[in-house]
Amino acid sequence: MEKKPILEIKNYSKTYGEGKKAADNVTLTVESGDIYGFIGHNGAGKSTTIRAVVGVLDFTEGEILIDGHSVKTDSMECKKITAYIPDNPDLYENLTGIQYLNFIADVFRISEREREASIKKYADLFEITDSLGDLISSYSHGMKQKLAIISALIHNPKLMVMDEPFVGLDPKAAFTLKQIMHEMCENGTAIFFSTHVLDVAEKLCNKVAIIKNGKIIDTGTMEELTGKKSLEEVFLEVQDEQK
Amino acid sequence: MNKNSIVLLRTLLKSTSQWNIYKNCKDKKKKGRIIGGFIGFSILYLCLIAYCIGMSIGYGKMGLVGIMPAVCALTISLLAFIFTVFKTNGYLFNFKEYDMLMSLPFTPGTVAGCKFMYMYVKSLPWNVSISVAMLIGYAIYTAPAIWVYPVWLILTLFLPVIPMIVAAFIGFLIAKVSAGFKKKNILQTILTFIFVLAIFALRFGIEAFAKDEEKINDALLSASETIKNTENIYLPAKWFDGAVSSFSVSDILLLTGISIILFVVIFIPVGHSYRSINSKLKSHAASKKFKMTAQKSRSIENAIAYKELKRMTGSPAYMVNGGLGMIFAVLIGVAALIFDIESIIAKVLQDAPVSKEMLYPAFPLIIYFMIGMVATTAITPSLEGKNYWIVKSLPIPEKTLYRGKMLFNMYITVPFAMFGTICLCISAKVPVLTSLLEVILMVALCAFSTAWGCVCGIKHMRLDWENEIEVIKQSSAVAIYMFPNMFATMILVVLVVILGMHMNLNLILAVLILIVTLLAWLCYRKVMKLSK
Repeated sequence: MEKKPILEIKNYSKTYGEGKKAADNVTLTVESGDIYGFIGHNGAGKSTTIRAVVGVLDFTEGEILIDGHSVKTDSMECKKITAYIPDNPDLYENLTGIQYLNFIADVFRISEREREASIKKYADLFEITDSLGDLISSYSHGMKQKLAIISALIHNPKLMVMDEPFVGLDPKAAFTLKQIMHEMCENGTAIFFSTHVLDVAEKLCNKVAIIKNGKIIDTGTMEELTGKKSLEEVFLEVQDEQK
Repeated sequence: MNKNSIVLLRTLLKSTSQWNIYKNCKDKKKKGRIIGGFIGFSILYLCLIAYCIGMSIGYGKMGLVGIMPAVCALTISLLAFIFTVFKTNGYLFNFKEYDMLMSLPFTPGTVAGCKFMYMYVKSLPWNVSISVAMLIGYAIYTAPAIWVYPVWLILTLFLPVIPMIVAAFIGFLIAKVSAGFKKKNILQTILTFIFVLAIFALRFGIEAFAKDEEKINDALLSASETIKNTENIYLPAKWFDGAVSSFSVSDILLLTGISIILFVVIFIPVGHSYRSINSKLKSHAASKKFKMTAQKSRSIENAIAYKELKRMTGSPAYMVNGGLGMIFAVLIGVAALIFDIESIIAKVLQDAPVSKEMLYPAFPLIIYFMIGMVATTAITPSLEGKNYWIVKSLPIPEKTLYRGKMLFNMYITVPFAMFGTICLCISAKVPVLTSLLEVILMVALCAFSTAWGCVCGIKHMRLDWENEIEVIKQSSAVAIYMFPNMFATMILVVLVVILGMHMNLNLILAVLILIVTLLAWLCYRKVMKLSK
C-alpha cells in the first residue's frame, strides 16, 4: 500500500494570553497506515495541538492540513474525514446510547443499513450492545469512552485523532481498541493519538513525537527513536536533556 | 436550514427533553420528579394564560381593545429580548459540548445558528401562551374575521425573532470584546450588567418620550397613546398590529421577511468569529508562575461559601442572573440618596397617588423584590452537576454542606439588601425605630429567601443538565422558588401599604419580622431534615 500524508502539521504555534506559547512551531506528518504516538508531560501542549487539528481550537500561526485540506480554510472537508475522541468525552447525557450514535450517523450521512451493521459490530466488540437503549447519564466513564470510540469508528474516518483513548477502558476494551487500530491502519487509516502510557505507545506505534513545553523535542519512527533502549528510557533522557 | 442543521437542532432539543428522559429512564423516582415538574410547569402556563386573558379582558372593558395586538407584540418582544440577554452567554458560548460539536462536520455558523434556534424553540411555549391568551381576549371583544386567527398565530412565531437576534448579537459582541482580556468572565459580566441597565434606562426613556409627546390627561387615552407611540418606535409591533388589525400584506411581509433576513445576515459574522471567540473563552494557559505563600484556613462552612463564590465568579451567566438584583438594590439606594424620593415614586408608579410615608413599611419588600427573586441556594445544589461527587465524598455531613451554601447566599444578599434599605430610609427620612425594624425585616427576608431557596434547590435537585442555563434559568427549583415568592411579595407590598394607612407602622413591621423569621426558621428546619 502506498503511503501518503494524511495529517501535516507545519510550524503550528498557539499563543494564549500574556504571550504564553502552548504550542511552539510544531511540525510533524502522519501518513496513511501510521499509528503515531504523541507523548509528553501534563501541560506539554498535546491537547492544544490535538484540539487545533480537529478544528476546535482557533490558531493563527502555521498550517494544518488533513488529506491536503487546510483546517483553517477548508475545515468542513477536514472534519468529514476525521474522527476525534477527546480525553473526557462530553456526550449528550440525556440521550440514549443509540440516539447518540444515530445523531453521529445522521451527521455523517451513513445509510441505515450501514449504520446498523457497524453499530452492531463495534457495540458487540466493546460489549455495550445491551446498554445502548439506556440514557448516557447512567453510563460509567468507561462506557461513555466506549460510546465515543464507537461514534468515531462508524463513519470510517481517514484520520483518527484520540486524546488519551485508553483512560477509563477496561483491559479487554483496551485490547479491542488496539486491535481495531491495527485493522484500521492496515486499511490505510492514519491514527494520531496522545498517551501517557509509554508501554502502549511503544508496542502500538510505528512513529512517535515527544513534546515538551509546546516544542517537539524528538520525533521519528520507533526504531529511529529508541534503538536498543525502551521508549521510557528515551523519553526520560530527552526530558532531562531539555531541562 | 440544511439537513445537518435540522439534525443538530433535533438532537439539541432531544438532549434536553424531559420527555426523552422519562421514556428512557428506569428510575421511578426520577420519573415521578419529571411528572411533578411537568404538572408544575402546566400550572405555571395556565396561570400565565389566565393572567393574560384577564389582562386583555381588562383592556376590553376599558375600551382599549384596539391596542391589544400592539400590547401582545410588545410583551412577547420584551420578554424574548430580556430572556435572551440572560441566556446567550451559556447557550451560544462556553457550552460544555463545544469540542464535540466543533469536531463534527458542522460549520461554526451552523452550530451558532442551531444554538440560537434552540433558544427560540424553547421560548415558544411561553410566547404562544401569551399570544393565544391575548387572542382569546381580543376575540371576545372584537369578534374578528376568521383570517385574523391564523395570521395572529403565525406572526406570533416571528415576533420573538428580531428581539432575540438583537439580544444574541449584543451578547456576541460582549463575548467578542471580553474574549481578548485576561479576566474575561468578569468583563463579560460587567458588560452584560451595563447593557441590561442601559435597556432599563432606555425603557423608561421611551415611555417618557411616548407620554410627553401628547399631553393627555386622561389616563386611559394616555395608556393608549403610550402604546401607539412605543409601537412607532419599535416597528415590528406596528407591523404585527397592522397585519392583524387590517390584514396589511406589506406589514406581514415586513415582519416575516426582516426576521428571516436578519437571522441569515447576523449569523454570517457570528459564524466567522465563532471559533475564535470560543477558543479564547474556553482556553486558559497554565501560568506556571505560582509561588507558595502563607495559606489561610477557613471554617468548613466558610470554605464551602468560598467555593460557591468561586463557582459564581467563574460563570458569567451565573453572575449576571444571580447578581443583577443586588446591582438594582444598590442603584435604587444610590438613586434615592441623590434624587428626591417622591419624584422617584411618582416616576415608577406613574403618578399614582402614593406618598413616601405610605411606602415606609414596604421599603424592605421593594428591595427584597430586587434581591430575593433569585437565591443562589435554589441553584447551587443542581449546579454541582458532575462535580457532585466532590462534596459527597468529603467527610462532612450534608447539613454542613447546605449550611455553607446558605451562608454564601447570606454573605452576598445581606450587605446589598441592607444598603438599599438604609438608603431608602435615609432618603425618605423614616423615623429611627422604624428604620431599625425595616433593616431587621430585610435581614429576616434574606434569611427566608436563603432557606426557602435551599429547600427548593434540594427537593428539585437536577444534576444531569447539559447546560448550566437549564439550572440557572429554567429549572423547576428556580420556578418553584421564584413565582410564589414574587406573587407573595407583590401582595405583601399592597397589603402593608393599605394596613399602614390604618395601623401603627412599627407594629406592622414587628409582626412581619415575626412571620418572616418563623417562615425562615421552618424552611431552615426543612433543609436540615432534607439533608439527613
